[in-house]
Amino acid sequence: MTRDGTPWAREIAVVAFAQTGHRRTSDELSEVEMLMPVLHDVLAQTGLRTADIGFTCSGSSDYLAGRAFSFTLALDGVGAWPPISESHVEMDGAWALYEAWTKLLTGDADTALVYAYGKSSPGSVRDVLTRQLDPYYLAPLWPDSVALAALQAQALIDAGETDESALAGIAARNREAAAANPHAQLRGPVPPGDYLVRPLRTGDCPPIGDGAAAVILAAGERARELCARPAWIRGVDHRIEAHAPGVRDLTDAPSARLAAERAGAFERPVDTAELHAPFTAQEVILRKALRLDAGVTVNPSGGALAANPVMATGLIRIGEAAARIHRGDSDRALAHATSGPCLQQNLVAVLEGDPR
Amino acid sequence: MPEVLKAPLVVEFPFTRSLGPVQSAFLTGLRERVVLGVRTTDGRTLVPPVEYDPVTAQEIRDLVEVAPTGTVTTWAWNHAPRRGQPLATPFAWVLVRLDGADTALLHALDAPGPDAVHTGMRVRIRWAGDRTGAITDIDCFEPYDGEPEQPGDHTGEFDNPLTGIVAPARLDYTYAPGRAQSGYIDALSGRRTVGERCPSCRKVYVPPRGACPTCGVATSEQVEVGPRGTVTTFCVVNIKAKNLDIEVPYVYAHIALDGADLALHGRIGGIACDQVRMGLRVEPVWTEGARYPDHYRPTGEADADYDTYKELL
Repeated sequence: MTRDGTPWAREIAVVAFAQTGHRRTSDELSEVEMLMPVLHDVLAQTGLRTADIGFTCSGSSDYLAGRAFSFTLALDGVGAWPPISESHVEMDGAWALYEAWTKLLTGDADTALVYAYGKSSPGSVRDVLTRQLDPYYLAPLWPDSVALAALQAQALIDAGETDESALAGIAARNREAAAANPHAQLRGPVPPGDYLVRPLRTGDCPPIGDGAAAVILAAGERARELCARPAWIRGVDHRIEAHAPGVRDLTDAPSARLAAERAGAFERPVDTAELHAPFTAQEVILRKALRLDAGVTVNPSGGALAANPVMATGLIRIGEAAARIHRGDSDRALAHATSGPCLQQNLVAVLEGDPR
Repeated sequence: MPEVLKAPLVVEFPFTRSLGPVQSAFLTGLRERVVLGVRTTDGRTLVPPVEYDPVTAQEIRDLVEVAPTGTVTTWAWNHAPRRGQPLATPFAWVLVRLDGADTALLHALDAPGPDAVHTGMRVRIRWAGDRTGAITDIDCFEPYDGEPEQPGDHTGEFDNPLTGIVAPARLDYTYAPGRAQSGYIDALSGRRTVGERCPSCRKVYVPPRGACPTCGVATSEQVEVGPRGTVTTFCVVNIKAKNLDIEVPYVYAHIALDGADLALHGRIGGIACDQVRMGLRVEPVWTEGARYPDHYRPTGEADADYDTYKELL
């Protein structure tokens, strides 16, 4: 539903999803070599060829692997000739999906290919992510991504909303779920480990790795032709909070809550939620902000704690939620993606399958 | 398949950034051991201060001095400091609400260990000896059990205020070119040039990148091309590039090696600039120990017919 309650002009669905087996390194492959099998997989699921796709949109960051304009080389894997309608965001692929969804809503295209990839292995992702911070007051101190997440976790512990053993329980539950996910990097029990930045232990942090993912969107009847049970996008919204960590309440995610509200997540209960929570404490915050009670299946894929190919992790949440609807394991699912330090920016998509 | 090639890659850049009036006052203040906040329209004091109200987006310019003492609002113990971080010895990351401020500032706290740190503890700024007008003019915070220090009444007017900062950044990578380019580089070490053929359109790409950009499929069949080739187009370079040890003017050309369906770039030598032309036949010139041809020179053959390379322009 749109904000004033009228239905969207068109119904748009996720009709296919593919991802790599995410790994600690993929140094025998260039980015396009890593990405291409995923593109071929997702196209093959629908029988579409590149020339059939109305709009292509991708998400990635050149800083991860230190390669300027890597997204233009990745486009080689799409086959962009004759010239295609294409766009790129220097963000997680979930935001590329948002752009593609709005493009389809306008009626300019009936199908869209959305992909994302990230190779964290060539660099030090903890340090790389400091470069997204305020260059005047934050970046000169090199506060790495684990340090900022640890400040957030401690704030949550101080507020009495969790403790270290509860966080270890979140880590264990996600990785147990990932045992059934052949694409996950960490599958099954992982020891809590030593403190990385206290109070976060290695087990509270995501694995570092490389991977890619792709989805295909289609509108209306086209979606029904391409997929036995399309995952209809009932709403997507994304919201951002102030950048400076010291002006925010780090124990809450009002931007996630507002995005969920605007995406229609609170209109009816969801049965499944795929949360982009790379650090255990962030799952606590998101469950609260998104009003997920004990009846909701959270991160049946294992989530970002089981595989975190940066820039693709958020798109994978939407893909995993859609795939459960495709398989008939879910009727209404929430997918969440995040960006920036300490859950600064959040995207929520609500997906539904046709009644069975 | 040759072993995976890897090489260190350092990306280093000094960003020169201009400052808005509030940022300038704050950073100039740090140089003078004065901490300034900015007052929002609803009366809160933001430290560090920003140019625009984070809630209303209104321009805010009302600077107020706050104390160098404050309270930890959250913390995290960093037992293994990383390059560039404020302290080289284990420290606590802290958000500190300075006395007189309503928001918190991120920095480091020098403490003997995690047992000596807690939310709510009192701290004060330890100033760096050498201050230039940067957030690092605060060396770190240190535990403090005295009375709150009274802030002065500085207005933010300074002699010689900062107008910009230079923010250096360095990231270290291990570059791995992947399967196709590893094969290309490996062959070059034997002074051979290999491309890869698209299984769909049959074009041979040199250098290969593992995918046919037209068909979107993987290339894998290696094809040796050259060593001779044809100049398809060229330009005369008249401005000397920084760090480039080549005298100007020189010719930089697109060269279609025999058997390749994509032209690569190379310098043309052994011929006067004004004699270089489209269709000129050239061959690579290697220098001892080089990993790629130094330049290409004329072979002396008759020029190639335009029709043989017109698709490669």
